[in-house]
Amino acid sequence: MAEDNKEIERIARCAMCADMCKYSCPTYLATGRETLSPQKMARLIVYNEKGLLEDEKGFLDLMFQSAMCGACSKHCIYDDYDLRKFIHKVRIKAFGSGAIPEDVKKRVETFRKFGNPNGERELIDKGAGQYGYFISCSSYEDEDLLKATEKMLSKSGFAIRQFGGSDMCCGAPLYYAGDMEGFRQVSLKMKAEIETRQLSRIVVDCPTCIKMMTEVYREIGVELNVEIMHTVQFIDVLLKQGRLKFKKEDSVVTFHDPCILSYDLATTNEPREIITALGFNLKEPIYSREHTHCCGAAYGAKIGDHSLKDAVTSMRLNELRNTAADIYVTACPTCKSVLSEVNMKYITELVAERIIAKR
Amino acid sequence: MKVNTYMSQEGMLPRGFIERARRIVGNEHFSQQEGDLISYSLDYWLYGVFLSQKGDLPALPSAAISPASAAQIQEIIECAREYKVPITPFGGGSGVLGGAIPLNGSVVLNLQRMNKFLNLDELSLVAESEAGIMGANLELELNNRGYSAGNIPQSLYCSTLGGWISTRAAGQFSTKYGKIEDMVLGMEVVLPDGNPLNIKPVPRRSVGPSLKDLFLGGEGALGIVTRATISIHPLPQLTIKQSFIFPSIEVAVDVVRQILRAEARPAVVRIFDEAESERYFPKIGRKVTTIFISEGETEYTKLDAKVIRRISRENEGKSSGEGPVDIWLQKRFDIGLGPVLMQYGGIVDTIEVSALFKDATKLYRDMVAAMKSIEGVLEVSGHYSHFYREGACLYVTFAGIPEDPLRYYQDTWDAAMQATLQNSGSISHHHGVGFWRIQYIEQELGATGVGLLKSIKSAFDPEGILNRGKLIDGGRQQRD
Repeated sequence: MAEDNKEIERIARCAMCADMCKYSCPTYLATGRETLSPQKMARLIVYNEKGLLEDEKGFLDLMFQSAMCGACSKHCIYDDYDLRKFIHKVRIKAFGSGAIPEDVKKRVETFRKFGNPNGERELIDKGAGQYGYFISCSSYEDEDLLKATEKMLSKSGFAIRQFGGSDMCCGAPLYYAGDMEGFRQVSLKMKAEIETRQLSRIVVDCPTCIKMMTEVYREIGVELNVEIMHTVQFIDVLLKQGRLKFKKEDSVVTFHDPCILSYDLATTNEPREIITALGFNLKEPIYSREHTHCCGAAYGAKIGDHSLKDAVTSMRLNELRNTAADIYVTACPTCKSVLSEVNMKYITELVAERIIAKR
Repeated sequence: MKVNTYMSQEGMLPRGFIERARRIVGNEHFSQQEGDLISYSLDYWLYGVFLSQKGDLPALPSAAISPASAAQIQEIIECAREYKVPITPFGGGSGVLGGAIPLNGSVVLNLQRMNKFLNLDELSLVAESEAGIMGANLELELNNRGYSAGNIPQSLYCSTLGGWISTRAAGQFSTKYGKIEDMVLGMEVVLPDGNPLNIKPVPRRSVGPSLKDLFLGGEGALGIVTRATISIHPLPQLTIKQSFIFPSIEVAVDVVRQILRAEARPAVVRIFDEAESERYFPKIGRKVTTIFISEGETEYTKLDAKVIRRISRENEGKSSGEGPVDIWLQKRFDIGLGPVLMQYGGIVDTIEVSALFKDATKLYRDMVAAMKSIEGVLEVSGHYSHFYREGACLYVTFAGIPEDPLRYYQDTWDAAMQATLQNSGSISHHHGVGFWRIQYIEQELGATGVGLLKSIKSAFDPEGILNRGKLIDGGRQQRD
């Protein structure tokens, strides 16, 4: 009860702030809609709790329009506060009462049928060893990325077991839809998949998967007994250990920081170190590192409102195009797919294209 | 709707207006949804924020309309005139005097879609942006190119360029870079008759009275600023931070007076009274602490800092190093205490006034004493900032946990305003009038001044379409 009161105090505080984080919120910036700014979302959540709202459907639609990217919590004036948790609680309640938006329902149904958000697919399970490379749902659909990953891993000198596809998924689509029972089952399945393979460390190419498999699993009492690192951290290690050799290139590269990689995983240096180690000239967009903007496909937005997603994507593409870089690179397979208009590459592709030999 | 409105009720919009407004901005950008009406109901007028905790809102707009261009604003205004629908412009919603509260059943004209950085002229040191750009985003755009606007208000992260112009704002670095009226070289405005006015950017002109000054502080009542060209500054080569402890407010203010008289131009000067010093710098405690930031070209900055150091030391100033400046830099945007106090029934607000040096310290003493005498008071503290060769801005923060919140709020404001007027000060330095300060405006401007302002409003906006009930009660009070 005391903890509940503390939580209520936290969001009530947010609801009375001057919206000091809204300048960082991509959905607000892309639409100019005050209602989507974090403080106004908080006010509506508080009013809903107090029974002051009549338009339940309108309220829930708004709650499914947050990108859940974390820009607001990163730039919050209060320590240890994350508005996303409150929006998520509303989504859980909405899911429980069957009041989630139609496209979210469809996505959940697909997930229940196939165990992943994409539909029927083959199992990938190859290689051996204590180290694993988890292929996320977005990567699974990206042949170029799969080939580049294969090449890089084979040249690295590590014995690595690649796995993914079929019904293996971190469960993010269910989590963001508010289906916590479904998510819990998926997390236990993921745990079993890792334990079956007796892995001590896994590399994951999707920042959202990492957030789910670490912080969020832990919150629901599921602990993976495995060390998890993102691909950029892995490549950084490979470079520092001299395991890969490259031909250097001096084109101009712009790196798009995926929101979860920057805001939740605080990993912004490694990709830049990799890019400069390859000899490229790095040109930063105005909104980079802790000021990055979501690509528009953070799971929260993707399952909510497509016109909103298009607005956020269009804003981000314009920000990136302003650097006039030769090559655009990111470290999230979903960002790569959504920002394809600038021929976005995943950082593994940049590395694989330039590998000349194993050490 | 279950929320309560205590100042005005939602109006009924004519169907013809709704249909045309939807056509102008597109269905997606015209809203009468509950969530939107609640979101545009209030800015950052703190008494309103206090009441909003319980679902009490000052007013609900009849609709929220979000145009994408000046041309759409023109069309909306023409439509509003035809149907006699009042319009409240809404920028970042960070104003603290209720300037963006949609009184009289007005529709909100949300300017936040017009948030683009447009261009930079490095040769002339000017940049142009749409009015809805957020201050922090403007700074990010400029910083990335090696420049700064130099306007860094506490609301940087939630206020807009258009809002700065409309409230005649000032930022924390204003002693060197000036206030918004010193920065704006040109602007585009849509007038209440729907006509666009383009004031081209030039360093100065002598073609009658300055038209742009009608909108610098116009509070959206005389026109809607849609874009502006402002002066910019190269990012500093060198920054020197200094702080000194002085035996009293009087000594500290006089030291700053001497420093400015000696032609030094620190970007930041802030004199904290004992209470604020203790709050900001617990290690220093209840002493009068003054911080200075000199910045700019290396040689000039060193000289600036040297003058500050010499005059401070000659006047009993005891150096307390860079530490307090760093602490202030870290805390300067932290408004977190206000909402926490409000959760416990506290009333919190700030009042900024200005005075010549000859009156500045007596004004501080009288104002703080008067505000402390109000029943329910918890704390009153102050600092000086925004200095001029002639005087300064005094910024006072008050908090109370009264039995009757409105009585306490009104009495404290009355006490502060009377102390200011009795000491020949101005009732506002940079927050503007909104609706809350209208009650004091005649004492500031006199009947003739108010009459002139009303005449201007009536000449511009005889129907009272734009921001009715703000700045000056020049328009009609009720819609037909």
